[in-house]
Amino acid sequence: MRTVALPRPIVLFTSCFAFALPFLVFQDTASARVKLITLPVRERVEIQLDNPHATLVEEERIVPLVKGENQVDFSWANTQIDPSTIVFRVISPLGDQQLDVKVLSVSYPPGEAALIWSVGASSSGSARVRISYLLGNLSKAFNYRAIAANDERTLVLSQYMRLQNLANEEFGSTGLWAGFGPRFLKPIGLNETKEMLMEKFRQVPISKTYTCNPQEYDYLDRAQNKLRVPMHYVLKNSKANNLGVAALPFGKVRIFIEGSGPQAGASTAFLGEDWGQFTPIDDEMKLFLGVAQDIVVKRTIDKNQTKRIGGNLYNHEIVLKYEIENFKDQPVTLDVVENIRHIRNEIRGDSGRDVQWELGRETTFPGGSDKEKTTFERAVFHAPLPARDENGNAKKVVHRLHLTLKNEW
Amino acid sequence: MKRSNLLLAVIITLLWTSVVPARNVDLSTVPPRNTVQLTIYNSEDLTLVRETRVVTFKQGANPLQFSWANTLIDPTSVELSFLTQPDKLDVLDTTFPHDKPHMLYWNVQSELDGEATIQITYFTSGITWSADYLCVADREETEMDLEGFVRVYNNSGEEYEDAQVRLVVGSINLVEKIAQLAQIPLKEVGNLQKKARKRLKLHAARRAMDRSEADSKAPAESAPKQIIKEGLSEYFIYTIEGTESISNGWSKRIRSFEGQAVPFQIEYRYRPQEYGDQLVRMYLLKNDVESKLGTTPLPDGVVKVFRDNGRDGLSYLTQQKIKYVPIGDKIELNLGVDPEVIFELIKRRAFRDNIWMRIGGTNKYQKVGDPRIVVEQKSEVAGWDDHSVYIQRIRNYSAKPIQVQVRRHYRGHVLFRSELNPKLHDYQTVEFQTPVPSGERTDLLFEIVVHQGYNAKQNNVTLENAELAP
Repeated sequence: MRTVALPRPIVLFTSCFAFALPFLVFQDTASARVKLITLPVRERVEIQLDNPHATLVEEERIVPLVKGENQVDFSWANTQIDPSTIVFRVISPLGDQQLDVKVLSVSYPPGEAALIWSVGASSSGSARVRISYLLGNLSKAFNYRAIAANDERTLVLSQYMRLQNLANEEFGSTGLWAGFGPRFLKPIGLNETKEMLMEKFRQVPISKTYTCNPQEYDYLDRAQNKLRVPMHYVLKNSKANNLGVAALPFGKVRIFIEGSGPQAGASTAFLGEDWGQFTPIDDEMKLFLGVAQDIVVKRTIDKNQTKRIGGNLYNHEIVLKYEIENFKDQPVTLDVVENIRHIRNEIRGDSGRDVQWELGRETTFPGGSDKEKTTFERAVFHAPLPARDENGNAKKVVHRLHLTLKNEW
Repeated sequence: MKRSNLLLAVIITLLWTSVVPARNVDLSTVPPRNTVQLTIYNSEDLTLVRETRVVTFKQGANPLQFSWANTLIDPTSVELSFLTQPDKLDVLDTTFPHDKPHMLYWNVQSELDGEATIQITYFTSGITWSADYLCVADREETEMDLEGFVRVYNNSGEEYEDAQVRLVVGSINLVEKIAQLAQIPLKEVGNLQKKARKRLKLHAARRAMDRSEADSKAPAESAPKQIIKEGLSEYFIYTIEGTESISNGWSKRIRSFEGQAVPFQIEYRYRPQEYGDQLVRMYLLKNDVESKLGTTPLPDGVVKVFRDNGRDGLSYLTQQKIKYVPIGDKIELNLGVDPEVIFELIKRRAFRDNIWMRIGGTNKYQKVGDPRIVVEQKSEVAGWDDHSVYIQRIRNYSAKPIQVQVRRHYRGHVLFRSELNPKLHDYQTVEFQTPVPSGERTDLLFEIVVHQGYNAKQNNVTLENAELAP
């Protein structure tokens, strides 16, 4: 495509990016007043979104060149191209041409978002060139839509990529790739936001958990020693759970639940939303849905006995009692999580030292602590709770956690 | 020729005295520049300009006027010399008129009636250069194309057309030269008065430049210019082939070298003091001939790293500043965290033992736990050992096996127990390495024992090979 020369401001009306090739070679670009310019159009655009912090745009154009030195102008007024990242690469000459093309130098005019490549060609002909640059204000984010089955055993997780184009530049049919998942070919308009379905994961098992953890979730009613019991959907990002293709990026998760009966899909209800944290393969994404009011946990410190070893060195025998009632119609398992340092601080203040502890014989949780999830100062137990009976009465389940805190001073 | 702010005028006058004439009507000729050479000391914002002009002299006194309005030239640095007929030409005196700060007059006494080539040298600021690098790794991440560039910026207020451009790589050498010239130890250079320091700096730069003249041949019209690199004393000088015109306010970027298919290794490193509290992925290569580089040291500059994404495009990996890399030295590029490699430190257990009590009011100590001894009630804990058992877990979800290096820094009197075959990077830093196959998880178990209080006798880390229970 060849056109009569357009001064740069007029070019800018057609696009914020101008790519121009003067026919005549001027020694002094700044003082040139009359130019004949070709305007090679974009043949292909790829936007690489695989870097978490930057967006890379790659565009290809076919550039006609004359033998010898050629000037190729590139300008990007009103956009946030990082000029230090602009890379000009000659991909190939067109057809069977024997054309050797090299970039001789790059000149940067003062006060302009522009540069001029000086390109040497061994003979006249056209070359396919690729220009790559980082572009600001063209950003991506991820979000999810989860539709749980009515029995809350599985869900369908749809992952979307949302591309927001505030870069003040539009792109025609453009290849888009997030570093994983499918590659899209879409036009991207000015100030446009485009949401694309990345993956749809079906039959993802839900682990529905109820957890009390005074250090993390605090009390619901401190005066009555009632703990807050949040409910979570836990999704394991593994192949066995029909996920595990790639890490799940951070993003908002909107959670719905299907209704019951033959029109289940039509009566879907919104359950809530939470931020899904970055979840590597084999890790769990934990989504908070709300506080479970039907599970009541009363936590009291039943025993706090200090044993002096000598001088200012002590051991402490502590027994925590949990009175638990499940007013639900289904049996559930309650996860009881205790931060032992938090308990130590509760009974004798913070010494700043790690807490040394052992489980005592009075502990009643079945199976003891969860070995996989228990760490040096965090103990995890599981308490199965029966459903309430036919009369609506909940059975009170009582568990004790017996700890010996050693070598405290 | 563009309008220049620098003007050399030969004043034609009937009466010339050594005093600058106070008259309003002058006649002058303006000899153009024949050649100009720029030698740019980036680290000092200092450029030595050397220009030649052909001037016709008459026998007797010849007044020359040199002016530099609206430029950043250092007036005290301007010097005139004669490249031809030096034995017949002399500068009798130089006058700086009080009412014209950007002008001087040379009074040249000539025994010659004819042409001579003169050289004017001076220092200017406002011309700088920077280096930058472009790496494009191949899809397999075993080799890369590495290009180096230099970019020259002209904000000096003056247009330099068809200038030979030389770039000085190295920064400390001027200081060394200053020390030599001032005949003082290097550490006392900072104590010099600002004026003296500047004078010596200019002198040092000029002397260095007198020793090097690079070739200047015209390039083929379609070939990139070569940058000739030569070592000179502690400097390295890049001379851009041919000449360049860089207008005031403009900058120009030229490729300085290219290495194709440069081999490199990938290593994952945990070094919190260098890279923060994260496992980072590194490209490691060397600036040597074996690595298809090694033709020049690499000046300080920004490296941009891309990778062939295998889909007919590039992936942007990172950009980082590198410090001067001598020939033969390594180049380490930090690509940041790899989301496909998960690095976790899990503290499994913590306990204390070897507890010593100090009996109140004495310098006597008792060990707790010795069945033969009853611990005094009037005593307090004076020393103990803190034990912490950790699992360093690395999960590799990438398609390749990886090599991971971990450095952990400990303060105090520390014992590091493990079967990891570690080594001491320094007296407080333990280093261990492990491969992690693709798609697998590696758990590295180790125990840290910190001797506290009375038990602390040293301030270092000791390694101990021991089998541990997770």
